[in-house]
Amino acid sequence: MREKPDQRLATKTLKVWRIVALIEWCFMLLIPIGYGFAWWYFSIPQWPIYVLIGLAIIIAYFKIFVIPKLQWRKWRYKIFENEVELMYGVFVVRRVIIPMIRVQHVDTKQGPILRYYGLSTVTISTAATVHEIPGLEEYTADNLRDNIAKLAREADPDE
Amino acid sequence: MSDWNRQHSTAIFISFLNNLKEMLFTVIAVVIFGQSSQAGGIGYYTVFFSIILILSLASGVIKWLTFKYRLVDNELQIKQGLIFRKNRYIRKERIQSIDINAKVIQRMFQLVELRIETAGGGLEPEFRIVALKRSEAEIIKEELLLNTKDIVLQDEAENQQLVNVDNAEMNKGETENKPDFSWDLSNNRLIIAAITSSGIGIAVTFVAAIMTQLQQLIPEAIYENVLGWIIHSSILYIFFWILAILLIGWIITFISTLLKYGKFRIIKEGNDIQISRGILEQRQLTLSANKITTVRLVQNIFRQPFGYVSVYVESAGGGRKEEDLSTILIPICKKDEVNVLLNDLLPQFVVKRSYESLPKQSIRRYIIKLTFPFIVIAILSSLFAPFGWIAWIFPVIAAGFGFWQYVDAGIGKDEHVIMMKTRAISLQEAIVPKYRIQALNTSQSMLQKMDDLYTIRVSIITSVIGKTFMVRHISRLQMEEILLWFSYEKDTREK
Repeated sequence: MREKPDQRLATKTLKVWRIVALIEWCFMLLIPIGYGFAWWYFSIPQWPIYVLIGLAIIIAYFKIFVIPKLQWRKWRYKIFENEVELMYGVFVVRRVIIPMIRVQHVDTKQGPILRYYGLSTVTISTAATVHEIPGLEEYTADNLRDNIAKLAREADPDE
Repeated sequence: MSDWNRQHSTAIFISFLNNLKEMLFTVIAVVIFGQSSQAGGIGYYTVFFSIILILSLASGVIKWLTFKYRLVDNELQIKQGLIFRKNRYIRKERIQSIDINAKVIQRMFQLVELRIETAGGGLEPEFRIVALKRSEAEIIKEELLLNTKDIVLQDEAENQQLVNVDNAEMNKGETENKPDFSWDLSNNRLIIAAITSSGIGIAVTFVAAIMTQLQQLIPEAIYENVLGWIIHSSILYIFFWILAILLIGWIITFISTLLKYGKFRIIKEGNDIQISRGILEQRQLTLSANKITTVRLVQNIFRQPFGYVSVYVESAGGGRKEEDLSTILIPICKKDEVNVLLNDLLPQFVVKRSYESLPKQSIRRYIIKLTFPFIVIAILSSLFAPFGWIAWIFPVIAAGFGFWQYVDAGIGKDEHVIMMKTRAISLQEAIVPKYRIQALNTSQSMLQKMDDLYTIRVSIITSVIGKTFMVRHISRLQMEEILLWFSYEKDTREK
């Protein structure tokens, strides 16, 4: 049986995911707020406000606290000499193998929040697919990128 | 050149002009449609356009400031972006072509544009440095292209193994002048193909759609009379109508297939496979044999009983970009002829096609998935429609079909290829060589977890974008075996 990959994402990534989830949740909050305004100006029933607020709280619990945690816990990767293996997903567990000889290029990128926390995302592109390792420490990501690029360069085409 | 370089400052001007060009249509639209509305006058436009000008100038400056490149050890490294920063490293081996262009603007400033094409893929397959001195461009080009000659072949074919085979083939092809192989679709076969074409489904929907549209054209009184007559007449008449629709649909597909695949001919010359077809509209397509990534055998339900298959191929480019690269290779042939034909056309795809069936637990998954939506429909219609209970026939059919999908699904492999057999409606067998797989991916949903089943996907290249083949609900053992088979890591293979 093939062993699970053993590398994990940076601990701070969880924080970043939660912040992103929080921002998204704030946008979702516009729905109950909008309904609140509508209720203020028009004669529509009041109870949906409470339902919506209740829903928002439940969603917040899952979206901000539970799911990112699970996601983070499930995310694993490993760089072998000849392939990269990723494993992730809460509801659907995915496992991906990318042979080094198929790697076309490796990028690192970071958005504003990732940059604030000194994190970086590594993107691995083959001719047909693009894969991401989201949220590694900047130096880990840079090393990883250089390492994969090097291994991909050296990958033995006879294999 | 190991320091970070910026582009020549003219790049600001060039990107500014490009921005303007892109916005030209918006601007024209605003001017044309804006005139009819009374919102604002000349002042409004002036403000509007100056904002556009300033923004595009600013974006040009920012692009220029943040875009940096350098050459390190045969690698072109590019940094770009202000808010979303991106570093891209382009390896020399992966570069397909480097072009130095000089358009009018560049020529005005005695500069050139450097374009680098890598082998497809990703979201941004090509790179441009829009303004740099010619001498600089030449240095980069030389640096990146030097010594790649011995690697070029690998780049082309992506696998040394294959290259050897193909080289041998190519040499063989060069020594002979007449085509190595040619195959014509016989008229009998063409007619069989036309009779059993699966396009009938599309044609029937088309005819049915036209008929329903006709209702709106026919005066309502007549329509109601006719409808009343149909409802009052026996079921036989309704049956007759359905039959008529089917027949018309079938005739349409029959003729269109004849026109499409008439005069079908394949010629193989060296490494090139040339396909020409069509009676009214002649079409020609040239594929390169060593760019073909997958062969698919497709049997629709009309052809299956008679043992006929169509063969499709997926190709990773090689021809011009407009060409359709997921294309039909053999419109129709007997199943046991496939290997004979492939032996001449694509010898690397000749395999003994044997499949391992899926575990019993997956019967449930296949049946439930197809049946569930129909059960919902059946419940709703028996609640709300008169004679709605008739709809329960659909879940039963769906369950049967789901079981059929299970029976037909299978997975097979030998040392170099993986074969995936699945049925959506038609039965499809995909033959994918290992070295063509860009990434392999297994997944398990929560429902699958209950039975310890997995879904497997392999991604290959066709034309510029990729394509993924999958088999649902394979067993853990099968999944593990495929991982081992695919793994390029010797250590894990021995475990």
